[in-house]
Parts: sequence; C-alpha cells; structure tokens
Amino acid sequence: MAQYKRLGGIMAITLAATTGLTACGFGGSSGEATGDGTTLDLLVPSYSDATQGNWDDVIAGFEEENPDIDVNLQVESWDNLESVIATKIQGGDAPDIYNGGPFAGFAEDELLYPVEEVTSEETYADFQPTFLENAQVGGTTYGLPFIASARALFVNDALLEEAGAEVPTTWDELLESAKKVSELGGGVAGYGMPLGSEEAQAEAAVWLWGGGGTFGDAEAITIDTPENLPGAEFVKKMIDEGATQADAGATDRSPLFDIFVQGKVGMQVGLPPSVGQIESDNPDLEYSIHPIPTEDGSPFTLGVADHLMAFQNDGDKQEAITAFFDYFYSADVYVPWVQAEGFLPTTLSGSEQLAGEEALAPFLEVLPDAQFYPSTNPDWAAADSAFKALFGQLDGKKSAQDVLTEIQEQVDAG
Amino acid sequence: MKDLLKALPWIGPAVALIAAVVLFPVGLMFWNSTRDISQSGVDDGGVGLANFATVIGFQYFWPILGRTVVWVVVVVGCTLIGSLALAALLNKAFPGRRLVRMAVIVPWASSVVMTTLVVHYGLEPYFGIINSFLVDVGLISTPEGYGWTRHPGTAFAWAMAVAVFVSLPFTTYTVLAGLQTVPGETVEAARIDGASGVRTYFSVVLPQLRGAISVAVLINIINVFNSLPILRVMTGSIPGYDADTVMTMIFKYMQNQRQIDLASALSVIAFLVVIAIVAVYVRVVRPLEEV
Repeated sequence: MAQYKRLGGIMAITLAATTGLTACGFGGSSGEATGDGTTLDLLVPSYSDATQGNWDDVIAGFEEENPDIDVNLQVESWDNLESVIATKIQGGDAPDIYNGGPFAGFAEDELLYPVEEVTSEETYADFQPTFLENAQVGGTTYGLPFIASARALFVNDALLEEAGAEVPTTWDELLESAKKVSELGGGVAGYGMPLGSEEAQAEAAVWLWGGGGTFGDAEAITIDTPENLPGAEFVKKMIDEGATQADAGATDRSPLFDIFVQGKVGMQVGLPPSVGQIESDNPDLEYSIHPIPTEDGSPFTLGVADHLMAFQNDGDKQEAITAFFDYFYSADVYVPWVQAEGFLPTTLSGSEQLAGEEALAPFLEVLPDAQFYPSTNPDWAAADSAFKALFGQLDGKKSAQDVLTEIQEQVDAG
Repeated sequence: MKDLLKALPWIGPAVALIAAVVLFPVGLMFWNSTRDISQSGVDDGGVGLANFATVIGFQYFWPILGRTVVWVVVVVGCTLIGSLALAALLNKAFPGRRLVRMAVIVPWASSVVMTTLVVHYGLEPYFGIINSFLVDVGLISTPEGYGWTRHPGTAFAWAMAVAVFVSLPFTTYTVLAGLQTVPGETVEAARIDGASGVRTYFSVVLPQLRGAISVAVLINIINVFNSLPILRVMTGSIPGYDADTVMTMIFKYMQNQRQIDLASALSVIAFLVVIAIVAVYVRVVRPLEEV
C-alpha cells in the first residue's frame, strides 16, 4: 500500500513538472505518440459546469472503441481560451482538436486541416449546408460546425400585463412597451440592453442587422456604413428615453439576464440555454419567447455556430482525428451532448432527432432566418474585440456615427 | 579573475536562475515588441519600431499615461499618510494592541482579486450590499442603486480605494519597524526642551523614519504602477478607454485584441518608465543610504 502511495506521489510530481513546463509555452511538444498508440490533444472551452463531464463521457466511449488512441482533454474558460491557444501555437504546441469561435485566422496561417480530409464522406454530408457555407474560407471548409444557437426575445408576461404593454414586433412598438414597463418603477427596467464588454457584439448585431445593416462579409468588414447607422441611433434613443436599465453601456449580459430571471426586466434577448436557466433558478417566472423586433417587423435572428477544428501540427494524426470526428458526430453521441448544453444541433440527423423538443421550438422556428457573424473574415476577431471595447460608448456623449467610425478604425488598424 | 573562477560554482546557479527567469523574459519582450505577430501567434517578421509608433500614436495613449501617473501618485500618497497614522497608533501600548496588529495584516494575507471582487459585488446595482445600504439610508434615490463600477470616474476612484486598502499593511509594518528604531532618548530630549507632541513628531520622529519611508515608497511605486487585478476587476466592463492605465491597456492589447506585438511594445514602454522613475527616485532620495 505504502509503495502505491509513493508511486502516486512520484506520478503527481512528474505530472506537475510536465504541466509546469508546457504552461510556459516553450515546453516543446507534449502528447507525442507513445508506442503504437496515438494521443490526441483536445482543447475546449467550458460552456457550462457540466462541459467537462460531457466531454469525459464522449472520450471514454471513444477510447473504448479505439483502444490505440488516447485523448487528452483540456478545458479552459471562454475568457482564457483565445490567449491559451495563441500561446500554444506560438510555443509550437498546438492542440490536435480545438473548439472555438473564429477560425479564419488559423486557416490563413495554414495551420488547419480542411474538414474533408479529417471526416468521412457520410459525416461531412450530414452537416446543414448553411452552416458549412458559414465555415468556409475561400471555398474550403476549415471548421466543423459544432453547436448552434439562435436568439429570441424573452418577455416577462406578468410585467407587460401590469404595465398594459403589448409584445412588440417593431422597434417603435418595443420602445413604447419598454417605456411603459420602465414606468412601473421599483427598479424595473423595460428592455434589458447589455452593451458591456462580455458580449457587446451580439447586442450590436441584434440592433444593427435588425435595421437592415450587416458587419460585412469574408472580404471586408464594414461597420461604418449608412445601413448600420439607424440601429446604432435607435440604441441611443432607447437609452436616452429611459427604456433600458441604467448604465446600459457597461452592463454585461449574464448578470443582466440573472435580473431578468428575478423578474425585474421586461424584455431581453436570450439564448436556448436561457430556458434551462429560468427553469432551474425561477420556475415561477411568467415568460414567453418571441422573435426579435426589427425596424420593419420582418423576422430575423442572430445565429452563432461554434466550430471544431483540426490542427495539422506534424501531420501524422489525420487518421486518429478522423476517427474521433466520425465517432463524435454520430447522432447517438452528438445529440445528447448538444442537448445537455441546451444548444441546437448543426447536423441533419441531429435536427431530426430533436424535432419534437418543445422548449427548442421557438428557436428552431427562427433558425431559417438566421444571419451569422462574418467569422470567416480574418479581421472578424479584431471587429469582435472592437465591439466589445467600444460599442457600449453609445451610452454616453458620443454620437452613434462617432462610435461606428471608431469601431471601424480599430478594425482597420487591427 | 582567479577569484571569480573560484566563486563561479557558488554563484553560478544563482546567475543561471537570474538569466533564465529575469533576463530571458525581458529579452523576449523586447524582441516581440519589434516583430509582427499574427493573432494566432505566428511570427511574421520584424517591423522595427512600428509597433511603438502605433502604441504611442493611439489617440488615448497620453490620457492613459496621465491616468497612470494619477493612479500611482494618489494611491502611494494616501497609502503613506494612512500608514504613518496607523503605525503611530500601533506603536503606542494599549490593551489589545496585538489583536489590532494582527487585524492590519488581513488585507495583506487575503488575495487581491478576492478583496476586489468582494467590493465589486458590493457595488453592483440591484443586489450589492453597499448599494443596498446607500439606498436604505436614502443617499441614492433610484431603487436599484447606482452603477459605481459602470462609470469611469467612480470605478477608478473605488479602485484607488481598494489599492490603498491592500497596500496599507506592508507600508504600515515597514514604518512601524522604522518607528521602533527611533531611540527613546531623542523623543525624551525633545519633550524636556518643551516641544509639543506634534512638533516632536514632525521634527524629531519623522526625519528618523526617512530610511523606512523611502524604501516603502519605492516598493509601493513599483507595485502600484504594475498593479493589474484591481483595475481589471473594477473597470473591466466599462467600454472605451476612459478608465485605463498602462497596465490595463497592455492587458487589453493582449487579451481582447490579441496583438501580442503591441502589448510587448507597451510593456517595454512601461518597463522603461518604471526604470526611469526608480532611477530618479534613487538619485534624489537615496533610500539605501544611511541617514
């Protein structure tokens, strides 16, 4: 027994020493092939507290089917993820499989496998075509659509009824309803508008695109355009006329949605996982889910797809990666994963399996009208951070035009 | 030369350690600041001093530098005044002094991020305890409280308050140690000559604290200048660059914009600024010399 303890101690020290070395970024390549077996390094972000466990289940199942392949899992928070991957790449220690948002920068640096080289034909053909298009750089698919989400307007029915307000479909109706709810007093806000750094780009898309604008395409990021101006100006109007919570410019999305769940916000844009959050934290909340109001009332939603991508590294793990992706995207493995996190599937077989889910219905309904971030543009990452840092200034003295100009300048400089 | 060779086995490991953990990272930082590094971390070649031009040409650079000076001066100044008062109190014998001395260490012993987060949550509208208190006593009229951490001015002021709070223990103890080296005879002589308590403190005790104070100030300047976590937590959700210091700006370049090259360039500037401040300070105050 004592011997085992000592062995455990030695292993712990070795492990600590190895992780210490890799952590400094100059540790060379960890996860080298040992004997016949191959080791896949997997770097993923944490979507929820359950993410690590969900991946552990997938990996256990995969390793059972493929005893000669080991999978190393590393879970990071979204806040750290992008600096971790940048440090790893700089240190020549990129993971084999990475789950993240923007991938075009990696594709441009020629670090990624084209998806068709690391999936079987059946797996590749099973993706929703719109999602595949969204994952292409110059006609080649580099990202495997992983999970999707769409946005919709969460409405606190009790507050709207108390204020005598209608569920809005256009901006003018939204302004009117939100003002009525705000007038209830007691710290109640009509519309929850999170322009803080956490996810300002999402709220920006909801407004700028809802007014007929875009963020550009794979060739050019265009923020400072006449089409985007009405949305930015209406955001300012909402804030100035007291239709939103106080300090919209520096309010982050997650804490604000907590306040919606507590019943203090009339309307806020939410995601599929928001349904689960309300169910567990405040099941008594009287709420309903509606399409996002736009300038002219035409339906639209912001779709977001995160991607899996495979790094080439030494180019000797293609088969193992293919085996992993084919296993992961089989409906029996993939659908429970997506469901556990409360997102929407990106595969045809997955959608079929989930067609009967009532909670997801409002989102699946708006999904055909989804517009995506121009994430295949290598400059999108710069635009993303420019929105996070600057869009909240709409709550302040700067004019809508100045804010858009400043964002465009930072993108062009990036 | 022969002596040096003889000494090498003894000082060698220390020299190697300094080279590995101090000189190498500094060198790498200077190197990165002259490179063009892509967002995913690939080195795309040298660009000379272009990164420095970009950083200094940024329209908010000078306000940020000015704010950094305010940050350092106010925090170090308030810390010093507070510590002198606190140390004078702790130097007097009174019942329970040991407990009070222990209590002063608490902000030192707890994590800075933790301390800041506690204050940050207290300042949150809707549920923060500080906001609730201010609403209950009628100082704030809006029922959800005031967004202290959502306006650059108030967030920065609160960050300075937290910075003073966490800097106090170290400074207080340094001054306290200095106070205990002040010979009783000098104070007694002043009293016999009829000097008042205030006069004695400023003319007799304070000059003898010069060594302790100047070391404490030097260390505080470096610490406060390089402080990131407090500002990061208190001002992190504010859009724009109206509450940034050089350190938070480095962090924004690195974390938000992922421009490691620009972050390195600004780090080099910050490094040179600190070196300059310390050089001037050492030259003028001579903290390491005997009184």
